[in-house]
Amino acid sequence: MPNALPRALQHPLLWQGSRRHDRIPTLPTGHARLDRTLPGGGWPLGALTELLVPRDGVGELSLLLPTLARVTREGGWAVLVDPPWTPYPPAIHGQGIDLERLVMVSTQDAKASLWACEQALRGVRGGVVLSWLRGRRHRAGFAHLRRLQLAARSGRKGAFLFRGPEAAGQSTPAALRLHLEAGERDLHLTLLKCRGTHQGVRVRLHRAHGAPCPAPEAAGRRSAASARPDSHPPGRPSDGLSEGSSGRHSGTRSGKASTQPDTRGPVPPAGHA
Amino acid sequence: MKQTWLALQFPHLALDLLNRGNARPRDLPLAVSDGDARRPALLDANPAARRLGVRAGMPVSAARGLAGALQVSDRDPSLEARALDRLAAWSYQYSSAVSVLAERHTLLLESGGSERLLGDSAALAERLASELLALGYHARAGTGPTPEAAQLAARRGLQLPDRDALHGALRELPLEALLIEPEQRAALERMGFRHVREVLRLPRKALARRLGTAMVDYLDRLTGARPDPQRPWRLPEAFASGMDLPAEVSSSQALIFPLRRLVGELCGVLRGCDRGVQTLDFHFTLRRGEERLQLGLQQPGRDEQHLVQLLKERLERFRLPQPVRHVALRADEFIAFDAAPTGLFVDPGDPGSNPLEPLLERLRARLGEEAVTGLRGVEDHRPEYSWARRRLDEPAECRAMPHRPVWLFPRPQRCRIEDYRVLAGPERIESGWWDGGDCRRDYFVVRDREGSTLWAYREYKPRPGWYLHGLFG
Repeated sequence: MPNALPRALQHPLLWQGSRRHDRIPTLPTGHARLDRTLPGGGWPLGALTELLVPRDGVGELSLLLPTLARVTREGGWAVLVDPPWTPYPPAIHGQGIDLERLVMVSTQDAKASLWACEQALRGVRGGVVLSWLRGRRHRAGFAHLRRLQLAARSGRKGAFLFRGPEAAGQSTPAALRLHLEAGERDLHLTLLKCRGTHQGVRVRLHRAHGAPCPAPEAAGRRSAASARPDSHPPGRPSDGLSEGSSGRHSGTRSGKASTQPDTRGPVPPAGHA
Repeated sequence: MKQTWLALQFPHLALDLLNRGNARPRDLPLAVSDGDARRPALLDANPAARRLGVRAGMPVSAARGLAGALQVSDRDPSLEARALDRLAAWSYQYSSAVSVLAERHTLLLESGGSERLLGDSAALAERLASELLALGYHARAGTGPTPEAAQLAARRGLQLPDRDALHGALRELPLEALLIEPEQRAALERMGFRHVREVLRLPRKALARRLGTAMVDYLDRLTGARPDPQRPWRLPEAFASGMDLPAEVSSSQALIFPLRRLVGELCGVLRGCDRGVQTLDFHFTLRRGEERLQLGLQQPGRDEQHLVQLLKERLERFRLPQPVRHVALRADEFIAFDAAPTGLFVDPGDPGSNPLEPLLERLRARLGEEAVTGLRGVEDHRPEYSWARRRLDEPAECRAMPHRPVWLFPRPQRCRIEDYRVLAGPERIESGWWDGGDCRRDYFVVRDREGSTLWAYREYKPRPGWYLHGLFG
């Protein structure tokens, strides 16, 4: 077979040092800083992305909302397998997600959950699948992940697995493995594994609600005056993540700095009682 | 147009109907008896039985003596007739004219017309025989320029594409090849004839006088000297098939083997009739009692692989209280079917050609109907009442509230507000007096000590206190 070698080199699992990143099919993350760091300028398509989340409520779903919004607006399907809670429809719709294109799948046990995830990855072409393989019931082994990886490739999907931080010790077939950590004002992303770039690269994204407010008692007293149910203070960022472009954080570095390995340790959570 | 006929003869039909539900035909000896009330004899025996020395024609009692484990069933001519009808419908996918010769256990297909589409008749004969074998039917397939020639060819394993080939074959064949009554053959043998060619050389009048006009008529139809119109067979409007399971099946996964054959047969019939089905009813006869399983499709379909896949997933969560002895499949309603274009000129990136339904069907088949849903908004100020799950074919209208948290807890949890720092708020929500859910709350965005951002509220009525209601995930 004369053309076997070039074909073999097209294999998505094979990364060539000389190959430009822009040939990797990707989905823009919606966070310019992250796009600049990731090979190909976005989430890998047709491959797994693992998000290791030590705690809920740090912006782990918000990280993906721009992608979900784009995919569903463009007519793709977003399938959520076993999310830990209900995504609150007015909130995610408010972030631009077309609810007509959102499918929720709930299963009873780990085996069924992995199966459903694989089916969703294979089932329709394109779109994204988010799957929560978390907690003790999910001991997804390498073989399971490998199946999911193959399924993601066959379906040309964006495939996101939410897992606990303990998965960091396990080897993975995923193309990208990110560790999420909450700082006081930022969400710190560490690229534990990434095809086509150095591992250990860190990226910071602004968290919503980064600035502390007055104490609850004071706020509670003040609240009697404002009775508009859906109002929110103007200028406040939405509860998603905002781009880290304000001078406070990016100003300390050059424009390219965010794509360089961050040699400093994670910013410790600001001390509070 | 050159006429070519393809005959499918089922030499073991009675046994096939018994044996095709047998997952271990080599180990489990089975035989069919003629059902004679006084002195039943065996009509046929499967390979496992033959290995034990059981032969067709043996008295049933003698066969039982040879093989203790032998299962003998009486043949059921009505089952055989129904099977032939199904197989005729099945063969319609390869021919536009099918007729059933029930006494001879034979189907006759006009295949000359489809040659351009399906390749030459000899190749088609081979293909049909192997497809039927996959469904559990042994068929001998032969082709010939006349219906009788095709039948003769099927029994001798010949392919006779035209009259020259037929006449060449008739010069060689012995008398036994002719499909005539045993008495007629005996009479010819008494006259000293051994070959077909000698009979064909006889003057027709003399032959008719000695053996009757039926004999002459047969020879004329065989050679094509006299036309042989076939009674066209009418397409069915429903499907029902079943099979005994000689070895009882107690795991639902092991049911796949016989059910795959039933589904394969159904799909062939549907292709033959150019129809689809939307509901498949499976019926399992258990050692005691019975069980049913219904498989519903989003759209009419007849894709065997898809149906078997759905069935597999359904069977995963199907519990059998007892071993199964008989399985049956019914599809009562054939529906006009738009065959989806398969592959050609379809852009795989086009969502229109990339439907979600097959995936949804698979997920629902295994996980249940309620496991796959969508979300929508509901007009209500109280967050816990402002959303609902929806069926995916229902509209998904919703208000946009981008500042709200993306995760909502199933029910608010009481909390000590001292454990949290307030980042934003309040947002007053006051509503519900008109439907008895009267409440007043102030919502705040709070942060816990570990760095998670939550949605908390202080309720003034009806249950004063602090609660957590969501998570800014």
